[in-house]
Amino acid sequence: MRFVRDVVSYCLIALIVVLVAALCVRAVGSDVSKAALGFFRGAFGSAYGISEVLVRATPLMLSALGVSIGFQTGFFNIGAEGQIYVGAAATTAVALAFPSLSPAAMIPLALGAGFVAGGVWALIPGFLKARFGLSEIINTIMFSYIAVNVVGILVRTVLKDPSYPLPMSSETPQSLSLPLLMETSRLHAGFPIALLSAFFVHALMRWTVPGFRMRSVGLNPRASRCVGISVYGNLLLAAFLGGGFAGLAGACEIAGVHHKLLEGISPGFGYTAIIVALLGRSRPAGIVVASLGIAALQIGSMSMQRSAGVPSSIAWIVMGLLVLLILARPRLVELIPAGTKEAFR
Amino acid sequence: MPLLSMRNINKSFSDVPANADVSLDVEAGEIRALLGENGAGKTTLMNILYGIYSCDSGSILWKGERARFDSPKKAIAAGIGMVHQHFMLVPTLSVSANVVLGLKPPGYPFTDRRKLDAAVLELSRRYGLEIDPAALVSDLSVGQRQRVEILKLLYRNASLLILDEPTAVLTPSEIDSFFEVLTRLKREGHAVILITHRISEVLSISDRITVLRGGAVAASVNTADIDAESLSRLMIGRTLKTLRRSVPPARSASVTLEVRGLHSSEHGVERLRGVDLSIFPGEIVGVAGVDGNGQKELAECLLGLRRASTGTITLNGERIESLRTAERRRRGIAYVSDDRHGDGLVLDMDLTENYFLAFHDDSRFLKGPFISRARCIRETDAAIKRFSIKTGGPRAIARLLSGGNQQKLVLAREFADEPVVLVAFQPTRGLDVGATEFVGERLLERRDSGCAVLLISTDLDELFSLSDRITVMSRGRLTSPIENDGSVDATRLGLLMAGDGGVPCAS
Repeated sequence: MRFVRDVVSYCLIALIVVLVAALCVRAVGSDVSKAALGFFRGAFGSAYGISEVLVRATPLMLSALGVSIGFQTGFFNIGAEGQIYVGAAATTAVALAFPSLSPAAMIPLALGAGFVAGGVWALIPGFLKARFGLSEIINTIMFSYIAVNVVGILVRTVLKDPSYPLPMSSETPQSLSLPLLMETSRLHAGFPIALLSAFFVHALMRWTVPGFRMRSVGLNPRASRCVGISVYGNLLLAAFLGGGFAGLAGACEIAGVHHKLLEGISPGFGYTAIIVALLGRSRPAGIVVASLGIAALQIGSMSMQRSAGVPSSIAWIVMGLLVLLILARPRLVELIPAGTKEAFR
Repeated sequence: MPLLSMRNINKSFSDVPANADVSLDVEAGEIRALLGENGAGKTTLMNILYGIYSCDSGSILWKGERARFDSPKKAIAAGIGMVHQHFMLVPTLSVSANVVLGLKPPGYPFTDRRKLDAAVLELSRRYGLEIDPAALVSDLSVGQRQRVEILKLLYRNASLLILDEPTAVLTPSEIDSFFEVLTRLKREGHAVILITHRISEVLSISDRITVLRGGAVAASVNTADIDAESLSRLMIGRTLKTLRRSVPPARSASVTLEVRGLHSSEHGVERLRGVDLSIFPGEIVGVAGVDGNGQKELAECLLGLRRASTGTITLNGERIESLRTAERRRRGIAYVSDDRHGDGLVLDMDLTENYFLAFHDDSRFLKGPFISRARCIRETDAAIKRFSIKTGGPRAIARLLSGGNQQKLVLAREFADEPVVLVAFQPTRGLDVGATEFVGERLLERRDSGCAVLLISTDLDELFSLSDRITVMSRGRLTSPIENDGSVDATRLGLLMAGDGGVPCAS
């Protein structure tokens, strides 16, 4: 009964979303079938298309994992975007500082630096919440602005490539580059790292004591204190780990895709990651699926823009609607049968 | 013709019947007790009358006419008023502002405060509910707040007042004056429905009694025709066991828990003002007192949830006041509280995880770096059997348990490691008679096995039956304990509860 209701409601959501998307396409005066064809060709029509989806899913997955750790501990980290930037900057700085390291030393060191930097960046709002009860929702987002603009300063000053007039760093040493998984594509080893991270987060949160403590603090801080679980310590831990995975996302963007620090290193991955974490219900498996779905939506819509002339911003409209419907679903499912019962009496 | 007549009321929640064929007649000028355990359907029935729920079938006749209220607002307009267990007052407003909240006061939209205060004062005098209409509700004691709730209903001309567990929050002397108010209401022609599970009160104040059990009416009788024993049999289906303490153990020389000069304040207000207390192994020390006199703060200081500003806590000769909660628990302090949802359990976790909460730093529950689920489930299963917890199994979500079973789960967990000191803060509040009895038995069992138990309670009967010594907490201080050898009575404790000068009385 419950299962049937779930399936029906998800199908309804899909139907509504497709209808709205089609309406939007019509509204801009394009051909719906042509747009749909462009969308699916772009996302799934070729090996290259699929590889692009995976490349796009990698930072979404990693930062959403970070966000989900925070969510489960009651630390609402909205600032993954800033943590991505800080992670990317730290990775670049470490790589440029030690150019002669071998890949076996360079990759763990530089990615580790990205993780730690992202973690420390989130630790500051974490401390402010744990110690003084200041809202992490405000502080993480404020720290995002700071981080993005600090990176802007860095690529114009200390990290700037002197041989180019543009605000960007020099190319990172070859030893930092993550191996490519497919010829003639951009698909890099960051994707398996993201999958491994998902497994790691699942194991941490479900199978170990620190994960248990964090979840219990997230669900009931008072009861946790009563059995001697430190709310303070676990909030800090969750902030650090959450920021760390976002930092790792930034690090993988440098080491896998851009190979230099740029101002626009993340086109809002950190914000989209919140949506991914919500859609995946803060569960690693859900996050893997949701990040692939959102990535396909974005890649497909870009191809739709090229082939059918439909603005890719429709993808964002669809995404917003999708989140709204999925979050509202449990309530809507409750309402419908109850309402009918009353009506038939 | 009865004032109110509810006929054959049926109501189920997702196919579980909460009221089955319940009928109730109430005459004007009578005090009707609605007696039953928690979950017997008393509150459901009243919520149906009050328009919070709608019934599945059945009818309500109000003043002889068919009525169905679909909101409390309509019920109040018709003359039915209810005082909920948790008061619904705005603490930052004055008494009279609370009384007219939602109505158009005299002079509306520019309230004529003097006229309003005079009207409220006049009303309060008429019913013996003396209170200062200009006082802020936040400055009032619980008993006085209850008067404001009743005034609210009288101001709205309620002819039937429903009172949900009204005495749970009152001191013995406040209960006496509350009963006077009830008698006065009755004389003025109001009908009162008293929802309660306290048999002694029912016998002393009500005219007729309707006993509910398992959602159905077990009996409707005149109070004069029945005694306590038959009432309790009707209410719980059997007679109550009387809990008996075994002979007090020879008090050994070494104190288990010793508290000296404990002070603690919050926002500049002193909550504990020099608490001294010692508990010996194998005894229960009962702390009586009106809720909010520092009992919760004392419990929290003992657990390490709250910092004491000065004072010492010694456990078996070792100073523990600067240790963290986890350290104190490791040394054998366990905690059972009335707030199962807040302090005791993580409701969204399953029973196994809730059981594991107390063992989160216990290496016996680990397998390598991972939590041994098998072990957790095994232990939880054993606990479920040992404490006969009614549940779907160790994987059921704690939220789905009834209050009594939730408390059993907390007890099973806290007792698993043979605690040296047990801090029990109102452990039976909100539990039904059966579960209350169970908790009492388990506390005595702990006591007999040598645990030092601190039992904080507002229920004097409970304290009399369980404690070896009784002390009273009043305004952040403890009186020196009295041996509970049968010579103490409620009046004497009541005087102590009122403390130095008693609760400030506005009028």
